[in-house]
Amino acid sequence: MKQWWNWRKREKELDKEIQHHLRMAATEREERGAKPLEAESGARREFGNVGLVKEVTRDVWGWRWLEDLFEDARYGLRVLSKNPAFTLAAVLAIALGVGINVGIFSVLNGIALRLLPVSRAHQILSVNQIFHHHVSRNVHNGSSMFSYAEYLDYRDHNHVFSGLLAYEPFVEATLGGGHMQPLVGALASCNYFEVLDEHPAQGRGFVDSDCAAPGQNAVVVISDDLWRGTFAGDASLLGKQIILNRTPCTVIGIAAQGFTGTEVVANAFWAPVTMQKELDAGMDRLSDSNMSWLALLGRVAPSVTIEQVHADLSVIAARIDQSHPGRITSLAIARATLVGRPDEREFLIPVASVVLAAFGLVLLIACANVSNLLLARASVRQKEIALRLSMGASRWRLVRQLLTESLLLSAAGGVLGSLLAFWSFAGVAHFVIAHLPKGFPTLALNLAPNFTVLAYALALTLLTGVAFGLVPALQSSRLDLNTALKGDGALTGSGRKSGRVLRNVFVGAQIAVCMILLLATGLLLRGLYNAQTLDPGFDVKNTASTFLNLETLGFDENRATAFVGSLRKRVADLPGVLEVAQAESAPLSNDHSGDHYLIPGRAEKVAMEYNYVSPEFFSTVGIPIVRGRGFEANDWRNGTPAILTESTARRLWPGEDPLGKVFHDRETGGLPGTERVVVGVAKDASVSKLGEMDTMYVYFPAAPTRNIRSYLLIRFQGNVRDLNNSVREIARSLDADVPVQVTKLEDGMEVWRAPARIVTGLSGALGGLALLLALIGVYGMVSYSVSRSVREIGIRMALGADGSKVMGHALRQAMRPVLIGCLIGVAGCAAVSWVLSSLRFGLDAHDPIAFVSVPVFLLMAALVASYIPARRVMRVDPVVALRYE
Amino acid sequence: MGERYRNRIELLQGTLDLLILQTLLWGPQHGFGISRSIRANSGELLQVDAGSLYPALHRLEKQKWIGADWQISENKQEVKVYRLTAAGRKRLTEERSRWQQISEAIGGVLNPAKKEGAS
Repeated sequence: MKQWWNWRKREKELDKEIQHHLRMAATEREERGAKPLEAESGARREFGNVGLVKEVTRDVWGWRWLEDLFEDARYGLRVLSKNPAFTLAAVLAIALGVGINVGIFSVLNGIALRLLPVSRAHQILSVNQIFHHHVSRNVHNGSSMFSYAEYLDYRDHNHVFSGLLAYEPFVEATLGGGHMQPLVGALASCNYFEVLDEHPAQGRGFVDSDCAAPGQNAVVVISDDLWRGTFAGDASLLGKQIILNRTPCTVIGIAAQGFTGTEVVANAFWAPVTMQKELDAGMDRLSDSNMSWLALLGRVAPSVTIEQVHADLSVIAARIDQSHPGRITSLAIARATLVGRPDEREFLIPVASVVLAAFGLVLLIACANVSNLLLARASVRQKEIALRLSMGASRWRLVRQLLTESLLLSAAGGVLGSLLAFWSFAGVAHFVIAHLPKGFPTLALNLAPNFTVLAYALALTLLTGVAFGLVPALQSSRLDLNTALKGDGALTGSGRKSGRVLRNVFVGAQIAVCMILLLATGLLLRGLYNAQTLDPGFDVKNTASTFLNLETLGFDENRATAFVGSLRKRVADLPGVLEVAQAESAPLSNDHSGDHYLIPGRAEKVAMEYNYVSPEFFSTVGIPIVRGRGFEANDWRNGTPAILTESTARRLWPGEDPLGKVFHDRETGGLPGTERVVVGVAKDASVSKLGEMDTMYVYFPAAPTRNIRSYLLIRFQGNVRDLNNSVREIARSLDADVPVQVTKLEDGMEVWRAPARIVTGLSGALGGLALLLALIGVYGMVSYSVSRSVREIGIRMALGADGSKVMGHALRQAMRPVLIGCLIGVAGCAAVSWVLSSLRFGLDAHDPIAFVSVPVFLLMAALVASYIPARRVMRVDPVVALRYE
Repeated sequence: MGERYRNRIELLQGTLDLLILQTLLWGPQHGFGISRSIRANSGELLQVDAGSLYPALHRLEKQKWIGADWQISENKQEVKVYRLTAAGRKRLTEERSRWQQISEAIGGVLNPAKKEGAS
């Protein structure tokens, strides 16, 4: 920009200088006696061509390229505005392609690239540890996290942070006391608000004394959303107590509006980390020095580099390793983002790559489309280009001119697309988030464009311009001047051969890419259909469940048993309730436990998921016992019987009768594990993962005292809402603070289907866009080649060719690249469909229905798209056609 | 476009630079003044046309051999006045000695007998 002003200034000065010269020369002539007018014209004559003098002088400045650029841009704009239809089509295609890419990038940016939403966020570093070799460690949330003892060590002995905080993310708590609702929050070290520099808008943050002793300071800071929503902005809430997991906590602060913590899931509350045991009763993470449960964030001074931080903290890590023989820890330190821990990245990077690639494919189609338009137009512009070449313009100069036009197009498309993306993607994301299954936590995503997104949009726009402009520019500047100037281009049918081949390649490429996207959609749709119609192997319609997490509510075993006992009895008496059962995990609740077992005669331990169930479980859920017997009331006392699923039994003892077989729990602390005897075999059912029937799975009988954390399963007739209300009422009358939510088991399937539905919807939208663009491409190419060969067609018709035969010829020509593209697309998709099948929705990577129907559909669509313009051939009047041009 | 002028510049390049630097040795001058000085001092023989003069002036300015200032003339007009810089002065001596060499060399070629006779 500065250069531009500089240039303007020098331009003006040169003008002044030359004017002065002319005036002086004229004055001199007048002094010699010439008349003023004569003097002036004489001076001009002597001076020569003013414009030319200026130009050669400007050349000296070395800014020729800038001037050329302006000239090219001016010329390009004029050319583009003369072909509004072409310009509009190209700009729209690019806007579409760039727009959706910028949009999806702004989502990824919001998730993983944006710095934390706190002040001076670039100073906040996230610290993670990676254990090398096999280390026995208790993990909660993420393996790269720290124990409380480790945190204190790093906090007190580092020399690089002005403050180092720790927090346990994703802490679930039930808000009690008349506002019953599930919340997600964090347990934070008491310097949390201090280090993040996010001081609560009202009240105070934590002070050191809040964290002085475990369980002593039941205080809480709540989010602005919770305060405004649940508590209706109650001004007197500060200093009052709210109930979290049965623990009364005093509200000491309300966080600043918009601050929801440092994770993707928005926090509703923050409590001191020392309150861990009180808020999650039954677990003592605080004193377990081998437990990964705290995420660490530190604020560094502006001058400290990540390398310095790494060096300083590694000393501490090495010292801790010394007291744990065999343990080698390395540290991963990076600028903190919402999603940035190594385990999260491991999941996010492949997903993001697949998503970006899919969106990129649509842009690719758009590019091929515009390339084709440019190629088609280039043959119309042959004369103009030939003229410029013959006037002495160099080929490079011409390519630059054509590229400038492409960049103008891509700039217009990029700006339009980006604006649309910024404007619409927040809405789209909002829509998706709003349609996530119930119980999905609130997400704190900032999708607004920032510098990274703008840079991405700019880079993508430039790349796009070059991508679609370069080949046509190189192609159309390589001309045979003679034939081009004579106007023979129109005679040779649809342009020169190489041009036609290139256009066919572009059409084929579009079809191939479109095929990949459509096939992916087809496979996903089939997977979704399978998931919708899948028989999970148990009764999902007439069985409901509710989760009783009494442990976190502070119940002990006796109280829990009393509560559940009365609840079960009274629920069983409800009208419409047929049977009530209990299990540690409900089918498809995504809440499983697994362990390793010793099978006699096998060296390797076998991993199996297990479930502790009451005797009524199988009949309540509708899973038949196919061999042996079910559980009986006293089974939990008499030794330890077990029931396997059919496929588990088959895999453990192939070809043998599983009944009476024995296996063991793995030994713990040197003691041999409990002996289990197989008493029955249950039918396979996808109780663990939807669509997976053959999970290794074993049922054990639950002791009647095993009530502290269980699911109540109810087989019922009638309306689930009524059932929910009645069960709630009973629960409330027994204990006002126990949350109850009765849902059909069918709803559990929704959670499994939702991601499939979102992915399918997304790929469907992409596939639709790709189809639209590719069909426009085919249509454009056919109608172009028909209009170019009107004369040839006219001659054929005049010689007596049949109209429908000529059209058939045109169609065959058009469909050849389409067919080749189809084949390449199918082959390409077959190669990459394992990516989709790894997403596991009961999806078959080589589903024959998808692989047949999608190509047929695309071919038909392409045929229609080429038939419409090809029909024009039939209406060609030979007389008119021969006079054409 | 401009080919005619550009060819001329190349032909004159070395000498025109020398003439401009030499002219400015007597004091600062504007473009028109420089062209008139060259014409007058060459006995009206050398006519420097504007298409050569201004590119040369701007090039010399860019090479920092001459500097330029904007002054107000007697008839209240802004005038760009060129002056010789220290680097330009040095350049002028170099150019002069080079010119000397060239003209001696050319003189030698044109009058071989005279040269032989002298030696």
